[in-house]
Amino acid sequence: MIRLKGVTKTFDGKTTVHALRGIDLHIPAGQIFGIIGQSGAGKSTLIRCINMLEKPDQGQVWVDGVLMNELPPAELRQERKKIGMIFQHFNLLSSRTVAGNIAFPLEIAGAKRSTIESTVNELLALVGLEDKANAYPAQLSGGQKQRVGIARALATKPRILLCDEATSALDPETTKSVLQLLKTINQELGLTIVLITHEMTVIQEICDTVAVLEDGVVQEWGPVVQVFTRPKAESTKRMIRGSISTQIPQELMGSEKTLLKLSFVGQLAHEPVISQMIRKYSVDANILFGKIDQMKDIPFGMLLVELSGSPEHIQDAIHFLQAQDVELEVLS
Amino acid sequence: MLWQATVETLTMVGISTVVASVLGLPLGLLLACTDQGHILENSFVNKVLGAVINVGRSIPFIILMVAIIPFTRLIAGTSIGTKAAIVPLTVAAVPFVARLVESAIKEIDSGVVEAALSMGASPWQIIAKVLIPEALPALVLALTLTAVNLIGYSAMAGAVGGGGLGDLAIRFGYQRFRGDIMLQTVAILVVLVQAVQMLGDWIARQLYKR
Repeated sequence: MIRLKGVTKTFDGKTTVHALRGIDLHIPAGQIFGIIGQSGAGKSTLIRCINMLEKPDQGQVWVDGVLMNELPPAELRQERKKIGMIFQHFNLLSSRTVAGNIAFPLEIAGAKRSTIESTVNELLALVGLEDKANAYPAQLSGGQKQRVGIARALATKPRILLCDEATSALDPETTKSVLQLLKTINQELGLTIVLITHEMTVIQEICDTVAVLEDGVVQEWGPVVQVFTRPKAESTKRMIRGSISTQIPQELMGSEKTLLKLSFVGQLAHEPVISQMIRKYSVDANILFGKIDQMKDIPFGMLLVELSGSPEHIQDAIHFLQAQDVELEVLS
Repeated sequence: MLWQATVETLTMVGISTVVASVLGLPLGLLLACTDQGHILENSFVNKVLGAVINVGRSIPFIILMVAIIPFTRLIAGTSIGTKAAIVPLTVAAVPFVARLVESAIKEIDSGVVEAALSMGASPWQIIAKVLIPEALPALVLALTLTAVNLIGYSAMAGAVGGGGLGDLAIRFGYQRFRGDIMLQTVAILVVLVQAVQMLGDWIARQLYKR
């Protein structure tokens, strides 16, 4: 659906900023594709390269089989109508009502009045704002504004939706409901969604695939569960440490006992692996920390366990766990 | 006498405000849109236009009025009277309007323009459907300010035979020592300015949806 090849972008100003340094990405159709990175990582530039709000210095951007880079202005405008976009600060027209804002892209596309009216009504229903049709953006809450943003972005029936930090200005509760809406749209309309965020939870909640961006380079990318449970890049590990605190007190690290960090993904999270291990091998397990979470629809658990027993038994127990496909890390 | 002078002032200010707006609005839009990073970025046009407007704004009105007499005669057919005064008033107001429009347009959040671009809007659609409607309250206030300024300028135009309240105040109030007429003209000017400002504020408030 979207393919980036060697995309580079440098901003010359007082100081030169290399926002993107050779990005290669493939975003398959129908997915929710997340790009995560800290501020300054190049996320905003990257997502704007997809619809050419930023023109890359080098590299190619293919969207649905069209090379976006060299399109003449009129054709680029046509292509942009097939790509919806929502923004962190909503960017609604303050002089227009909710209905007027949703009608806006249709007016630009030259749609008929009757089409506009029926489409606006459909979209108002989709985002649950039927009663706010005549309200002005200033009268809405943040979550409602973003819903208008989403409805507006969907008005021209695009096949791709770009989300630029769409939930970063919202509180956690509202974030959840907006993400839920995006998920619904993805499933029911089959829309490909590309979102950028600095929040792990957003990726966890709805993304199928994640790319980790740092310093203008994709550090790693793949299915969310894989990237988050077996992070390879240093920046991914740092991010995960930030969101799932597994800082182990120094005192424990120095103890004689064996300290294990176990991650369970998917079905495994439901299995009583630890109790099986205790029953099978004569080891004792002391659970220091545990949590279970969900990535999109896949359960994901993490345990910090202290094993005690004879060294051979502990070895056997570790082998057993590994045989069960538990992601395991011996900390001491 | 007072009544006639008031009508003359209103005519001068009214016509020159309208004409200056019609000419100044596109110039202001062009200034804002050709600025760096805007939809019609063009630093050559921007700099040249900016310089011309600055020249226009730096000439004192009383000098401008005299300097463009040939031009005035060409347009109005005469260089004295109310009709003739409209020309220099308009010429003085155009660059003023252009700058006010420019700053009103630049006040608009660039995110809104970006959103319109992402929907595939053309520059012209952005001007007509985003920039002007979003800046409308500010534009109304800009025109109000222009009208108020022109009321002041029109009094100056009176000094060179342009008619209107300024003319009356100088010829009768000042030169014939008629303190009462002086006072009355000033009172009418105060009322005019107040009325224009209140009307402008009211319209802007009606348009303001933020």
